Amino acid sequence: MTLLDFLREYLGMTGTNAGCRTGDCGACTVLLDGKSVNSCLVLACECDGKAVLTIEGLSAGGRLHPLQEAFMDEGAVQCGFCTPGMIMRGVEFLRGNPDPSPAEARVAIEGNICRCTGYENIVKAVLAAARKMKGGGVA
Amino acid sequence: MEYSVLGKKVRRVDGAAKVTGQAKYTVDMALPGMLAGKLLRSPHPHARIVSIDASAAKALPGVAAVITAEDTLKLTFGNWRRYPHLLDEHPLAPDKVRFIGDEIAAVAAADEDTAEEALTLIEVEYEILPAVFDPVEAMQDGAPQIHTGPNVRNNVSETRHIEFGDVDAAFRACDRIREDDFSLHAVSHAAMEPHASLAQTDTDGRLTIWTSTQVPYYVQILLAHTLGMPEGKIRVIRPHVGGGWGGKIELFKDQYCAARLSQITGKPVKIVYTREEEFSCTRRRTPMKYHLKTGYMKDGTLVAKEARAVLDGGAYNAMGPTALYLTGFFQMFPYDIPNYRYDGFHVYTNKNPSSAMRGFGGPQAEFTCDSQLDMIAADLGMDPAELRLRNLMKPGHEIKGYCKVASCGIEECIRKAMKSTGWKKKRGNLQFGRGIGMGCYGFMSGGVFNWINTPYAFSAAMIRMSVDGFAEVYVGSAEIGQGSDTVMAQIAAETLGIPMDMIRVTSGDTAVCPPDLGAWGSRQTLMTGNAVKMAAEDVKKQVLEAASGMMEQNIVYSYDMRDGKVFVKERPDRTIPYQDAVKAAVRARGGLQIVGRGLYTPHGKGMVSPAFSFGAQVSEVDVDVETGKVSMVNVTTAHDCGQVINELGVEGQLEGAFVMGQGYVLSENLATDDGKVLNPSFVDYKVMRAPDVPLNFTSLMVETYEPEGPYGAKEAGEGLTNPNAGCIANAIYDAVGVRIYDMPITPEKILAALEEKKAAAGKKKPGKKPAARKPRKPARPAKKTRK
Amino acid sequence: MKDFEYIRARSVDHALEVLAEKGESAVKIAGGQSLLNILKQGLMAPDCLVDIKGLEELDFIESNPGTGFRIGALTTHASILDSEVLQSSCGVLASMERHLATVQVRNWGTIGGNLCMADPSSDAAPVLIALGSTAHIRGPEGAREVPLGEFFLGYYETVVQPGELLTEISFPAIPPATGVSYEKFRNVEGDAPIVVSSAFVSLEKDGRTLSDARVVLGGVASTPVRATAVEDALKGVKLTPAAVESASGLVAESTSPIPDVVCSAEYRNKIARVLAKRTLLSAFEEAKAAVGGKKHR
Repeated sequence: MTLLDFLREYLGMTGTNAGCRTGDCGACTVLLDGKSVNSCLVLACECDGKAVLTIEGLSAGGRLHPLQEAFMDEGAVQCGFCTPGMIMRGVEFLRGNPDPSPAEARVAIEGNICRCTGYENIVKAVLAAARKMKGGGVA
Repeated sequence: MEYSVLGKKVRRVDGAAKVTGQAKYTVDMALPGMLAGKLLRSPHPHARIVSIDASAAKALPGVAAVITAEDTLKLTFGNWRRYPHLLDEHPLAPDKVRFIGDEIAAVAAADEDTAEEALTLIEVEYEILPAVFDPVEAMQDGAPQIHTGPNVRNNVSETRHIEFGDVDAAFRACDRIREDDFSLHAVSHAAMEPHASLAQTDTDGRLTIWTSTQVPYYVQILLAHTLGMPEGKIRVIRPHVGGGWGGKIELFKDQYCAARLSQITGKPVKIVYTREEEFSCTRRRTPMKYHLKTGYMKDGTLVAKEARAVLDGGAYNAMGPTALYLTGFFQMFPYDIPNYRYDGFHVYTNKNPSSAMRGFGGPQAEFTCDSQLDMIAADLGMDPAELRLRNLMKPGHEIKGYCKVASCGIEECIRKAMKSTGWKKKRGNLQFGRGIGMGCYGFMSGGVFNWINTPYAFSAAMIRMSVDGFAEVYVGSAEIGQGSDTVMAQIAAETLGIPMDMIRVTSGDTAVCPPDLGAWGSRQTLMTGNAVKMAAEDVKKQVLEAASGMMEQNIVYSYDMRDGKVFVKERPDRTIPYQDAVKAAVRARGGLQIVGRGLYTPHGKGMVSPAFSFGAQVSEVDVDVETGKVSMVNVTTAHDCGQVINELGVEGQLEGAFVMGQGYVLSENLATDDGKVLNPSFVDYKVMRAPDVPLNFTSLMVETYEPEGPYGAKEAGEGLTNPNAGCIANAIYDAVGVRIYDMPITPEKILAALEEKKAAAGKKKPGKKPAARKPRKPARPAKKTRK
Repeated sequence: MKDFEYIRARSVDHALEVLAEKGESAVKIAGGQSLLNILKQGLMAPDCLVDIKGLEELDFIESNPGTGFRIGALTTHASILDSEVLQSSCGVLASMERHLATVQVRNWGTIGGNLCMADPSSDAAPVLIALGSTAHIRGPEGAREVPLGEFFLGYYETVVQPGELLTEISFPAIPPATGVSYEKFRNVEGDAPIVVSSAFVSLEKDGRTLSDARVVLGGVASTPVRATAVEDALKGVKLTPAAVESASGLVAESTSPIPDVVCSAEYRNKIARVLAKRTLLSAFEEAKAAVGGKKHR
């Protein structure tokens, strides 16, 4: 069983979406020990002893992550199907690169397909969140 | 006018659910005891079904039911209820299969693996029939006949003719004529959420289906037809939808089979298409072969145009006949061409059906139109932008018997796009390898088409207002990601003068919401928006009536609502909280809640659309002359969508449409060989990714006021898919001097054309602008006639 | 995906033991970025999956100025990309890794897994072959070494036997007066490459004459191939853009592309020629800079 199926079918955590199940679209991206992976290309049993962070865990405690806020403010969400994977990838990216350029932000999400937005507003949201996190000291 | 919520950047009403993963899509739904359904599909492009033996599949432990055509009413169905001769598809093929992927049987089992195993146990005996894959071949005498029937001849399922003016006389009188042939390929919607359904039949025989659709009402009435049930016993619920683009505007087999299997098993049945099924077995954008002839004067005035299009319709009509009409209609947009003739042929082939897709015939039309306009401009030695400006439609433009264009901002769009991009400085002056090109378009704001033959209004809305002032808006429209729920909430909030967070929109549940034709043809903002505005005005009238009774003002005064207060228009300082008026109204009526109703159907607006959006796009590209690869540098789009409702929404639609269009031109190609889709995955079917899109994307909104639209609003986001192909093709020509006539414009084709051009030019170095050039591979030789 | 027994290897020895015991019914999984799709499609249905991903003894990057570099087979692409030692003394590997697949794949996929999958358009193989790499393999009979250029046998086929493990890749330090470059061509970013090229150029002391060259192409045959005709045409030649351009025209002597849904065979050859030229020229520039005393990357 893949990590994706384990999350969705076994745990009922459907926030992580299945776009292709072949690792090509990035919709099922989760953080495994802090690194983004396609959860459809990882076996659940491989994750024994590892930390898995999904979109559900990102806003635990009811407070949204600045990137989640930015996605709403910048119009980075349309159908929303790629959004959880895109946000998880964005979170990992901003941890490693808190002050990205627009070009870096675009390359950062090349593994995540969005069919709605044309990526423009997603990139804007990543940059806006970076500014906010620097200013607000959110980690 | 200063609006409180319209025209601003507004957060989506479903944004929080979507950024936290709480939003539930059909693929997320589950019910206790649910079975998994899978479909058996034809491996042959054309075959007669001799026999089906499902006994081994039925005997497999875990299998609850297997259905074939014998378990159906064997009725044909489709959106063409008004035109029954176009209905050509069965829920499950009863006698013949017509494409690889045609549905033959369905299984419901305890889990997906068992269902898949059961599929392998169904034995189908086929008699293989000769197949045909090219629409022009399919039209020849002696070609395999894919459908038979009184209205089908040589696989032509439908023809369309549009004509006005005196085309032949105009061609005789014009200075020059240009003729070109183009061919356009298939692409896939590739929505991130696949087609999916979960159906449940209760003990009273009532059916509830959760499904990923753009048209809940169509699904309801077409399920009623195919299942032989009253509409009233069917409830269609559209959860969040992960994208549509025309790929979900019909009844699909997952919907029918989940419903039928739930009837037979008495258990909930869920069917989710795989990504491979999405690419190879659902709909696609219609491939076309276009012949275009345009007559013009030496000063650049376009006087006559004749278009002929042969459409590769695939195995069934689907919504292809509408694409057949719209491609011919939008071929002339946004230009004022007084003499026009179009003949279109919708032809069956043994491939997956072509249907509606974002732009719906428009992208094909505008690629041919914009490409040829640039060739005409080159022939005249004229700036292509000037050529366009000279021939534009103006507000009030009427095509008798077809349409009337009320608002039209195309000229301003072109001028703004030129100014923003530095067009005049760049055009013709960029270094070899970089180029700039333009494309223009007009598109509809909802169709005046009632092929579904509904007696209901095209759109309707109901608003209930509670005594605490919250408003519940019910619309049958479909939020599929485009942001329509947010637009409806804004229109209701603006009309009622209350904050958006006092509004909740419930859409796409047929048991709760009034019927609506759904999300296609860029119709919801104008049509559903009008219905919502009318319903909100109805509520407001009731509130103000009660307020006038309470406020005891001079009878000559009138009242309105804004910022959550009822105020006296002539004495704005005199206010009461609107909730007080709502309570008073409810008490006065014995406790009856305030309900407002609204509806919209276009009347007296011609046969196409009640309003048209317009736009101009300028692209700057780099072409790698050694590999042929095209990179986008800058893109500016100027779009006239009337009054902007949600600026964030319009912006997102424009950018998304551009990038989908960029893929259409440069990389996407649903390739088939002998009817088999060769690239049914995101590895092999190449959609644009973030680093591919232009680093500089400028969207300019040109606001006009459309009298037919709610607050003057009209279409945004579908039309912009239309100009990309021509615009980018023109930029490529400007960059390296090669013209590609057959889409998509791949690096390989550009490189081949460059080599051919180099060979033709002998040892001369590539010049910036060769004086004369010929189409690379026209099906018929292009003619330039000087008279 | 068929059910299977899952065994997490505790050591290389343990992995080899299990593989010996299970025989043909067992399949090794490292990052699984290709293998899982193969399992899901039912193209392979092993009874037992031996997970070697967690073997820390095969997750290392070592640099020794004298002998060169060693990379453990289970080092992830992300670790190679982030390795400071590789970035400073073998920049071409980092530039290859930066564009290999997507970050999600780089984070979990391993260099050894990539090579063992033997996808003919693998990003990694051409560069590593150009660097003169050796594959280190351990099996029941002990350890053996195979030049990476002889590692690939055909589509998705290598010299590694079912009971064996690829344990590491090693390659010598980049010699003086040498440049190594890498480029790939794809129509859409984040996508698999259509053609990959890597060039290794060593110059004589004059800073112009080519003493040694390796041009390795991916995506143009069933395995990565050395463009030997191109290499031979340049050996002992004073390099100029014209000489490189003309020699690159010989790539087709080494390639055997097949047409597919992406492009024709002919186009692959055209791109191979362009990339061979470009990588040779940039390796040449780097080598010249090295001769000129500037520290090469």
